Amino acid sequence: MAHRHTAPPSDTALRVKALESLLVEKGLVDPKALDEVIDTYENKVGPRNGAKVVARAWVNPDYKARLLDDGTAAIAELGFSGVQGEDMVVIENKPKVHNLLVCTLCSCYPWPTLGLPPVWYKAAPYRARAVSDPRGVLKEFGVTLADDVEVRVWDSTAELRYMVLPERPGGTDGMSEAELAALVTRDAMIGTAKVAAP
Amino acid sequence: MPVLTADMVEGLVKTGASCRVDADVKAKFKQGDKVIARNINPPTHTRLPRYVRGKRGVIALDHGVFAFPDTSAHGKGETPQHVYSVRFTARELWGKDASERDSLNIDMWDDYLDPA
Repeated sequence: MAHRHTAPPSDTALRVKALESLLVEKGLVDPKALDEVIDTYENKVGPRNGAKVVARAWVNPDYKARLLDDGTAAIAELGFSGVQGEDMVVIENKPKVHNLLVCTLCSCYPWPTLGLPPVWYKAAPYRARAVSDPRGVLKEFGVTLADDVEVRVWDSTAELRYMVLPERPGGTDGMSEAELAALVTRDAMIGTAKVAAP
Repeated sequence: MPVLTADMVEGLVKTGASCRVDADVKAKFKQGDKVIARNINPPTHTRLPRYVRGKRGVIALDHGVFAFPDTSAHGKGETPQHVYSVRFTARELWGKDASERDSLNIDMWDDYLDPA
């Protein structure tokens, strides 16, 4: 008779459990604090924050100018600040310039506006190929750029965190700021997508 | 009493901890200067990726003064210095098959750069 086994958790899950047990046992971390951190990034902070920043910049030229001049301060005007967004730089996509973000060394990402990075952003293939073959990567994401469009890759190796201000799509005249924000995707703020017209 | 408690999380998340250093450190380079990334191969922590070592670029932006991870990560002090966004052409990094139009901007500390 075959006996049943419960598959053990993945290596990563085991490592996290071991680390958490040690931190708690040594009295360094309260388990409730970990729950609070997880709740923050599962339910409170995510790319809808960044979408609000983008929509504000689309409807308000003065705000857009401030955002491109001092990203950290302009983003804080909407209440977003803190860990992994202490020093923000916002870069603007234009008809002839497409920007793409990567962190080749690890997974640096602007948490207050975009939340935690997607798995592919942290994976070695994206990190290697975004710098060596950005047009190939973009094509796989469904973004095909004409030859006369310049691709600018931004590798965030230091303490600055970047966010792309995507182009406002056509056919959106007269839409409210909230309606515009609903069009903005996470990937458009990384540069692996454009914002589609409604 | 744990070092990190639940009531501390919201404030910490909102505030973060910038590595910017309020120190009057002279910049070695200015916007438009031509630079070459040093070909150094430390066995210890560095933020200088191999693919730019020995490559020629141009200073695009001066981000201000930050702690230097190559020393701070090892408890050897902040060594505050300017960080720049340095622009390299795709062809400088990847050769003649790369697009002549494309480029890469990467953040580099003063100690990673020499004048070119």
